[in-house]
Amino acid sequence: MPIEDYKKYFEALELSPDSQLSEVRNSYLHLKSLYSNDSIVTAAIAYELSEEKRHDILEQVEEAYTKLIDFFENKGSDPEDKEKPSFVLDEELRQYLSGITSFRGGLLKEIREKLGIDLKDMAVFTKIRKQYFEDIEHEKFSSLPSEVYLRGYVMEYAKYLSLDPVKVADDYLNRYRGWKTGKGEKS
Amino acid sequence: MNNGAQDKRCEIWAIGGGKGGTGKSFVTSSIGTHLASKGNKVVLIDADLGGANLHTLLGVSKPRNSLTDFFEKKASLNDIIVNCAIPDIGLVSGTLSSLDSENIKYAQKLKLFRQIKAIDTDYILIDLGAGSHNNTIDTFLLADKMIVVTLPEITALENMYHFIKNVFFRKLKIILGAHGLKDVIQDIWKNRDAHGIKHLKDVVEHLMGTSAHIRDIIENELASFRIYIVLNQVRSGREIMIGASVKSVCLKFLGFDTRYAGHIEYDETVLRCINKRLPFMLTHPFSHVAKEISKLTENLRDGRQITVTADKYANRRL
Repeated sequence: MPIEDYKKYFEALELSPDSQLSEVRNSYLHLKSLYSNDSIVTAAIAYELSEEKRHDILEQVEEAYTKLIDFFENKGSDPEDKEKPSFVLDEELRQYLSGITSFRGGLLKEIREKLGIDLKDMAVFTKIRKQYFEDIEHEKFSSLPSEVYLRGYVMEYAKYLSLDPVKVADDYLNRYRGWKTGKGEKS
Repeated sequence: MNNGAQDKRCEIWAIGGGKGGTGKSFVTSSIGTHLASKGNKVVLIDADLGGANLHTLLGVSKPRNSLTDFFEKKASLNDIIVNCAIPDIGLVSGTLSSLDSENIKYAQKLKLFRQIKAIDTDYILIDLGAGSHNNTIDTFLLADKMIVVTLPEITALENMYHFIKNVFFRKLKIILGAHGLKDVIQDIWKNRDAHGIKHLKDVVEHLMGTSAHIRDIIENELASFRIYIVLNQVRSGREIMIGASVKSVCLKFLGFDTRYAGHIEYDETVLRCINKRLPFMLTHPFSHVAKEISKLTENLRDGRQITVTADKYANRRL
């Protein structure tokens, strides 16, 4: 893809060309919800904002996002390596994810890695210690904090991956509780 | 003689926003207080000639001098700066006894602008009135930092868009006028249907396409055109996002870049302080509001903006 195209896509998402993947994702989600829903910000300038223009913007935002995710996916990877599964958070994938009911730590880790998200970035962003996220991924229940805190951490984790936080946390906490009861019986 | 001090030009910040009651005067006085607390000399000018009340926020019940002296008695601006309750802050009050503020003559306006630039201080903050009158817009354009204060309310946002659109359009006219192209923009706007122009953004795009000369002028002059947004009286994390959304709408529909300098949460204590004529920043230095104002003042000083993201703020409780 020519360099002008990248510039154009970053511009559509209102980002500078040196932005990170997480910024691309955040900007995409914000713009998509801003221009597909009604809000006072757009209603206050409704006389300038035709349906047609709104549609155009959404289309540009969508295209830019898909193209940039591709760009980040292939960045630094061997072009010969066709085995690498491509992971674009499109409608299809959303549908697939919505079908999943069991979010084990290992699966969360897999999704995160496919999205190219670094645990360190996540920790900085959510202000939650990286160690907790690692323990969540390995389901190391004994090192995790009490249920109230854990629920919050799992939800933050899921939110960062654009997963349904409640669904993920409910399922995860179920297993945690199972482990806890089992432990109680043993002692 | 200390030549170093003379070389340092003071910075002018103007605070506007189109709608009345968005907290412009509160924001102006609080920003001024923060700058003064960092060791700067600050002069606040109340340019809301129809509804001056900056003096009240600064604990001055009846200013000894005001802009009336400037306009009617030909006093110099330097001589009508009065002290107020906060050290290192001088005030030029806007309380007018008789003058009709919309009828200020062009020559008077230029004289005022000249004398504002000549004040010997570190920062000059100009508190503007509501509305998008040309005098208000020209005063806004005088500033090095142009700041709009708005609220998470549809009416405030409406007036703000109207205001900044007028500011931008006037700026375009001024820069083209300075190059002897005064009529170009007027003609384009008049014949906008023929040119297929719907938005302000289209005007700029059309102008850029007319000639390389005009494109160069616009690109050079508008590179530094930047409006800062301050969102006041925010009640939820979702409302914090409004600043980021406004930024996007300005870029996509009006065609220029704005910076989201910061937000201030809604706090009843602010109104209680104003009514008691207490300087909030000094009586509540550890409040959330005071911290947010300090932060946004520093962002303005350094030309920075904040980035807010939905996943972090949308569900955050204040």
